[in-house]
Amino acid sequence: MPRSPNLTRADRIGYVVGGIALIVWALRRPSWSRALAASVGSWFLYQAYTGSNPMLKPLGIRVNREPAQPQLAETIVVEEAITISRPRAEVYAYFARPEHLPALADAEVDIARNVADQELAWRGLRGEKLAHFGSLSFRDAPGGRGTIVAAHLEYAPSGGSLGAALARVMGRSPQRLVADALRHARAILETGEAPSTSGQPSGLR
Amino acid sequence: MRALCWHDRHDVRVETVPEPKLINPRDAIVRVTLSAICGSDLHLYGGFVPGMVKGDILGHEFMGEVVEVGAAVKNLRAGERVVVPFPIACGNCFFCAKGLFSLCENSNPNAWMAEKLWGYSPCGIYGYSHLLGGYAGGQAEYVRVPYADVGPLKVPEELRDEQALFLSDILPTGYMAAENCAIERGDTIAVWGCGPVGLLAIASALLLGAERVIAIDRFAERLRLAALKLGAETIDYSEANVLEALKELTGGRGPDACIDAVGMEAHAYHNIAHAYDRVKQAMMLETDRPTALREAIMACRSGGTVSVAGVYGGWIDKFPAGALMNRSLTIRTGQTHVHRYLRPLLERITKGEIDPSFVITHRMPLDQAPAAYRMFRDKQDECIKVVLMP
Repeated sequence: MPRSPNLTRADRIGYVVGGIALIVWALRRPSWSRALAASVGSWFLYQAYTGSNPMLKPLGIRVNREPAQPQLAETIVVEEAITISRPRAEVYAYFARPEHLPALADAEVDIARNVADQELAWRGLRGEKLAHFGSLSFRDAPGGRGTIVAAHLEYAPSGGSLGAALARVMGRSPQRLVADALRHARAILETGEAPSTSGQPSGLR
Repeated sequence: MRALCWHDRHDVRVETVPEPKLINPRDAIVRVTLSAICGSDLHLYGGFVPGMVKGDILGHEFMGEVVEVGAAVKNLRAGERVVVPFPIACGNCFFCAKGLFSLCENSNPNAWMAEKLWGYSPCGIYGYSHLLGGYAGGQAEYVRVPYADVGPLKVPEELRDEQALFLSDILPTGYMAAENCAIERGDTIAVWGCGPVGLLAIASALLLGAERVIAIDRFAERLRLAALKLGAETIDYSEANVLEALKELTGGRGPDACIDAVGMEAHAYHNIAHAYDRVKQAMMLETDRPTALREAIMACRSGGTVSVAGVYGGWIDKFPAGALMNRSLTIRTGQTHVHRYLRPLLERITKGEIDPSFVITHRMPLDQAPAAYRMFRDKQDECIKVVLMP
């Protein structure tokens, strides 16, 4: 079973160039320390071949080489889900307003598909260009525990997989934007307000 | 207003800051009449909890008078005297509906930070790092109380502030620690740590029908209070080998339940364990020093319960998983679901079954809070519990 890839094309080209450079440098004047460099180089080449970096796996980086929207050659995939203790129709109605969708910033939202109480799909456009696309699916949580909202979003990998990994570690990734938007929705739907501390006092003036 | 602000490890200062304002419709503003320093504030003071920011206002044990309420708060009016639970809970979510208020899914605006460290996020807590929401705390003249239609409890006139204040945290915390022991007739309960929570856990265990309570600490004034005020038997762990002493006191079987009221900054004697954990903690190889927890697990009788009320923040090692599994032990723990204990415990206070104010040793003005933190940390002047008056 092949691993799901987590390196973009640009990453793989970088790995090939870096890997070959290390091996060539090692072969020009062989030594024990350069042998180590050569083995790192071969590891880079192996990752370029498999399209996967095992160290990115715990961060949940996933690359899709054949996105459903052919305008994007490849995408990074974000998946998040949340359970909201409210009826499905109410949850759907909230997200049916485009400004409530967990879309990425500075893209214009174009609703691509809506099936009442079941699914919402959108495309995020920057001018004419497709920047990301996403969908929400709605289903009843088991045991009458409200509604499960599952978000699926794919975006063009501008910074490559390493950029995505770095953003994830820093807590500023699209993954977090989607998760925060879902949490915000739950707070509004369940409590009527969003938790906030903005404008509260602090000893830091 | 004046407020106690965290600046750095072992550096807190009373500063003049703007007064809090209503942010959300379910908020209230409370003029604090009494607050307290909690043992868990010392974890923040010592820099053991991540996510503190210079200027953060501390304090999660407080009570006072409502001065303003948001448009959605219908059950409170200006002028009413309330005590406020330390967990911030919405009252609407899956967990609040189950009575697990400290697991509220909606109250932590920084849930993503807590998820990184703990997998999922618990509730927000006043003055307890940005990991738990970064809410300004109550060691101040005024405080903003979110979900004020759910949390604050009105205090009957006949009670003094000092009798009601500890409903905010340490009385329910000690009580839940004892309740988690599922006490049966004839049970012996051992309690590690005789700080305010440990003392109130002892009192609660006796209220819930424990036959005997054995109190473990090293400070004479705390052990004295446990023995004289509450009737506990005591072990001074700086003198005795706790495991052997407990074995002997319980007829070779061990206590039926053990309460860890110590948490992540435990001390150990008579072995190199303390040095080992202190070094690992300093090198960030483990975040918490779990001496009391390890001992509680090793000491507990087979099939018994280990109830953890002390606060842990991250990872520990040398965890006695073998003892836990092979001897069918149960661990019960959690930040206290304060809301569900407020009314029953208020009733016990008004009936005179318990008066938690016996733990207070020091009454100081808010302006002296930095000195109070130092004194409490160093256990000077037989300090057990400090309350602060703004």
